[in-house]
Amino acid sequence: MDKSYNSIIEVLIFSSDEPISENEIIRAIKGIDGEDIEITPDNISETVDLLNKSYEENGRSFRIKKIANGFVFVTTEIFAKYVGYLSSEKSKRRLSQAALETLAIIAYKQPVTKPELEQIRGVNSDYILTSLLEKNLITIIGRAESIGRPLLYGTTTEFLKYFGLYNLSDLPKPREIEEIMKDEDFIEQKNKIMMNFVEESIEKELNDENNNTTE
Amino acid sequence: MYKIKLDQFEGPLDLLLFFIKRDELNIYDIPISRITSEFLEYVNLIKLMDLEVAGDFILMASTLMHIKVRMLLPREIDERGEEIDPRADLIKALLEYKKYKEVAEDLTFLESHQRKLNYRGYFSADEKIAPPEFDTLLKNISIYDLAKAFKKAIDGVKPQVVHEIKKINISIDDQIKFILDRVLEKGEIHFLSLIHGMKEKIRIVITFIALLELTKIGKVGIKESTEFNDFVIYGLANG
Repeated sequence: MDKSYNSIIEVLIFSSDEPISENEIIRAIKGIDGEDIEITPDNISETVDLLNKSYEENGRSFRIKKIANGFVFVTTEIFAKYVGYLSSEKSKRRLSQAALETLAIIAYKQPVTKPELEQIRGVNSDYILTSLLEKNLITIIGRAESIGRPLLYGTTTEFLKYFGLYNLSDLPKPREIEEIMKDEDFIEQKNKIMMNFVEESIEKELNDENNNTTE
Repeated sequence: MYKIKLDQFEGPLDLLLFFIKRDELNIYDIPISRITSEFLEYVNLIKLMDLEVAGDFILMASTLMHIKVRMLLPREIDERGEEIDPRADLIKALLEYKKYKEVAEDLTFLESHQRKLNYRGYFSADEKIAPPEFDTLLKNISIYDLAKAFKKAIDGVKPQVVHEIKKINISIDDQIKFILDRVLEKGEIHFLSLIHGMKEKIRIVITFIALLELTKIGKVGIKESTEFNDFVIYGLANG
């Protein structure tokens, strides 16, 4: 790939409103310079790495990040307070615990219906769903085939951007129930029960023996 | 009893997990009786305050009591001949909930990190020139967007002017008693001072009717007042 494409890739990412995917970058380049240009998604990732490295070396205040299935310019953390001072976007309130919990369930279980969600949370979730819909973190992605055809909810691109994720497989992995079971304190407790059980049966046997001897 | 801040818990499962953690209970061997009574104490507390939330807690309370009863009965046996622990479903629900609660913590971490980063601003003011896409029916729009727009349009319709009719609880009998009390207290009373402070027309009308009624049955008399446009009500001995 020609070195001059570094700047072209940079300018395409810079001028895009939304995170721009590798395929779109390739489409733009091939659309102008012809289909026979050899350029692969890997080339683009490499270029982005190079660009980021040069930004870092030159002490620039931004980087290109892989977020929401594409590339996007992002300010660096150390300038957060200055940017945040003027940006009303970031002064918005953080999500509540209930909202995060609900998002976690939707993110992993999507497409998910309200009853399924409420089953897991154990509480009515009307209000939370409405506020997440309004924040555009979740959306209605269809209807289930089950009785009553309940609405199905899923996460949005905005969700990926909010948490800085490239795609859904970027989500933190939940611990499987088996893993929670392997948790140290649980093992300890389990052992304790087992010990109690063993002790009880030994005691019982001893008592039985005593009873037998006294008889 | 422990003092618990009410809004601290996201729901009944959260509260149960709190009890389990606080008392270092084994999630696989929950002392149902003890946890049920603790739970009920808490439910009584919130029942007084917030009915909407209380519903979910009361449901859990009844589930706990149901489990408690089943624990006392001989165990049911599943198709493989194994005993069914009445707590199994609850434990499953607790673990499932715990799983997502942990993820929510991870998300909190991501959130606080991501909040420090800003995406490059959008050219939102710029007119976008995009080729029309004939084969796309819904582009970047969900049913929720449509519903929102529809609601906004509907809400934008000017509301009809509505004249509210307020129901005033007042009866002739009440006003008869009112007049008699006043006459008994003062001996004589001017009509204008009797209706003084009454805001609604209907109240004055009813009071007047009550007065006429009283005069008819001979409980009060009416006489001319020294003041214009007024008259005096006085009690009658045989009344």
